[in-house]
Amino acid sequence: MSRKFLLLILAFGILLAVPSVIHDTFFLRIITEAILWIGLAISWDVLAGYTGYLNFGHGAFFGIGAYTTALLMKLCGWSFFFALPIAGVAAGIVALIAGIPTLRLKGAYFAIATWALSRAIQQVALVMDITGGPDGMRLPTFLHPEFFYYLMLGVVGGIFALYWFLLEKAPFGLKVKAIREDDQSAMSLGLNPTWIKLQAFILSAVPTGILGAIYAYWITYIDPASVLGDLVTDQAVVMAVFGGLGTLIGPAIGAIIIFLFKTYFWAYLSDYQVLYLIILGGVIAASVVFLPNGLWGTIISYIQTRKALKQGPVSQGKTDKGAHHV
Amino acid sequence: MELLPQATIDGLLIGGIYITIAIGFSLAYGVMHIIDFAVGEWIMLGAFLGYYLNLWTVVDPFILLPAIFLVFALIGYLVQPLVYRVISGKKGNPVLMGLVFTFGLALMFRGMALTGFGFYSHSIPSAISQDSFFLEMGSVFITIPYVRLAGLLYALAITLVLHFVLKKTDFGRAVRALSQHREAAGLMGINAKRISSYVYGIYVGLSAMTGVIIGSIFTINAQMGGDYTVLAFFIVVLAGMGYLAGVPWAAFLLGLVQSFFLIYLNPSYTLMAVFVILFTILLISPKGLFGRGV
Amino acid sequence: MSEPLLQVNAVTKTFGGLHAVFQVSFHIAPGEIIGLIGPNGAGKTTLFNVISGFYAPNKGNIHFKGQDISGKPPYKLAVLGIGRTFQVVKPFAGLTVLENVIIASFARHPRRRQAEQHAWRILETTGLADRANAQASSLTLAGRKRLEVSKALALEPTLLLLDEVVAGLNPTEADRTIELILSLRDQGITILIVEHIMRVIMNISDRVVVLNFGQKIAEGIPRDVAKDSGVIQAYLGEAPQ
Repeated sequence: MSRKFLLLILAFGILLAVPSVIHDTFFLRIITEAILWIGLAISWDVLAGYTGYLNFGHGAFFGIGAYTTALLMKLCGWSFFFALPIAGVAAGIVALIAGIPTLRLKGAYFAIATWALSRAIQQVALVMDITGGPDGMRLPTFLHPEFFYYLMLGVVGGIFALYWFLLEKAPFGLKVKAIREDDQSAMSLGLNPTWIKLQAFILSAVPTGILGAIYAYWITYIDPASVLGDLVTDQAVVMAVFGGLGTLIGPAIGAIIIFLFKTYFWAYLSDYQVLYLIILGGVIAASVVFLPNGLWGTIISYIQTRKALKQGPVSQGKTDKGAHHV
Repeated sequence: MELLPQATIDGLLIGGIYITIAIGFSLAYGVMHIIDFAVGEWIMLGAFLGYYLNLWTVVDPFILLPAIFLVFALIGYLVQPLVYRVISGKKGNPVLMGLVFTFGLALMFRGMALTGFGFYSHSIPSAISQDSFFLEMGSVFITIPYVRLAGLLYALAITLVLHFVLKKTDFGRAVRALSQHREAAGLMGINAKRISSYVYGIYVGLSAMTGVIIGSIFTINAQMGGDYTVLAFFIVVLAGMGYLAGVPWAAFLLGLVQSFFLIYLNPSYTLMAVFVILFTILLISPKGLFGRGV
Repeated sequence: MSEPLLQVNAVTKTFGGLHAVFQVSFHIAPGEIIGLIGPNGAGKTTLFNVISGFYAPNKGNIHFKGQDISGKPPYKLAVLGIGRTFQVVKPFAGLTVLENVIIASFARHPRRRQAEQHAWRILETTGLADRANAQASSLTLAGRKRLEVSKALALEPTLLLLDEVVAGLNPTEADRTIELILSLRDQGITILIVEHIMRVIMNISDRVVVLNFGQKIAEGIPRDVAKDSGVIQAYLGEAPQ
């Protein structure tokens, strides 16, 4: 695993150096957005892939973060750096409230409830005056592509590192796996499944809210369609499922691939934007049928199978098959 | 206070529609244990087929209903093996994968609808669209639009037919056996795969028909699916997941709640109100009003 | 007389109209090994589930270390000192043997490093140390039963509920398990054991409680219980070895 770790550090280092080399702001913006989507995909996967609870209202936390920032900055005159953490907290509080009754139940209820919640929140934002209704809100302008690039990179990098630590090193990761493997056994060992799922949910929601805050300040304009619409959730889901649920690298890879595809698609086929939805849906459905472990998951199990075959019969020693990969 | 009878009637009429939205969905869940995220999309697609058929053939949508049912039942029957494969898979969590799969389907259908039908709204004209019953009792005026009444009657007819099929026919017994205990049913010679494909076909057909009715009463557009999915979920959770008998009660209750909201309170917050109620139900009694949910 | 560690008072558990357990009362003193026997369907596992918090009793109550624990969830009882195994073993199949026990160790050792050290010690005790890095799913039944016990042990329980940990093992493995159970008692752990294999129960239990159709029909030292006509009848003439 340390080879993987080094590669990730290398990738991060390369990304850090990018603005010094590339000065084209358009290109910089694209990479910034790609990084944003990595963050959104892994934060969705933290709950979905690791606990099996699908948050089909993931975009709502993004929107909550965005609107909280807009409201605090525009109406209360707060600075961005104070609004940012509050945006995360707001998302976390909503996750707590939504999660307590629903995480005790089976995953289907949770999926329904989060889906309904996000639509409800979108409707509220559309009708309230304070949020500007369908016209949305404008934020104070701060045009500084490099600042936002570094901020996005730093935040998403931090999120990735946090998740890595919590899920791979800290006891929390093992507890989450225990819950998923056999929650009755886990309960008999002192673990409270609902509480652990709730922690995972908050862990998923707060970074998403923060990303929403950054997005709001970066793009300067938000409206219900862009930050509370279905597209945020839909894309995050595709990226994570296609990339590989239950890992961190999987959704990151999925995010990059899907995002690149989307950028090309919208650049050259902008007349057929609605076609994009068909493709998104098709990719999700096809992934479930043909690539249930996602791209990265399939790669890993392929590598593992090759290793196991080389090692010889099982009885000869301790095999590594099934060991968890990041 | 004079509005109360009208509000109640409105609620019951709407409740009828809600029955049809949820009953197929609850059946599919009971038998296949699948939450079909695409239920609203099936409704939407049925509505659009009804719209275009009506446009081309000038046949009244209510008369088109059986045709719509057959077309979509067939589509459902053909799609089902894919769904079945996903939920019986060995890899990953099957229920989870089922949810994700139907989520993807819903997205695909929405995209296809937007591509094919654009962003426009339509409604399906019917011979009975324009007229209504008028009742007058003292100072109370009640208007009952024919279409809505037809919708309610349709809902009751569907419920009765389904009740009959499930209780009195061999097929119905097989369905009930399957939903109660899959393995035992298999041991008794019930072919789970085949029954499931019939059930899924029926469910899709029913949903599509509902779409046509909705198109005659309200308007339809390519993006309407999501709201109906939420409604279907809500009714089924309220009724108790998989508990078919609870659906009419839950549907009428929701209809009344919505109708009162429309008349007495601010309709823009209906979805939020629905969510809050859904939420409270999950908090207090996740097995639904009757405690018979799965 | 010292206070009993576990006091089961007229516990009743019903499912629908069926009494799985009906007004069962008994107590366990610290350091005892109590055997719980009865024909299939007598309610032993249900009683286990009630004591370990997976079911709440419909009537009656349960006191542990003087505290009323009726209806408390399993994870709270684990912390209070009740550990249990499951009749159908429940390993965390996708994780290694060591990881399985580490998770159990978190209850008393929240930090990863201490939990891991503790887990190694437990695996040494139960004889699984050489399989520590194997996938839990690769263990034989005997191994999985040992893992089951290891996990419960890692909680450092005061009361250990063992559900059929010997059934299905060959005589050698069974003897090893019995030795383990006795050594646990010597360490001061109180044990309530359900087992179908009579010679195990009768040889290691201080006292035996007999259930039939959810009710207690006999209680006493093994020799007396074996002679009890009601017990013999319940087992349809099967004489204990």
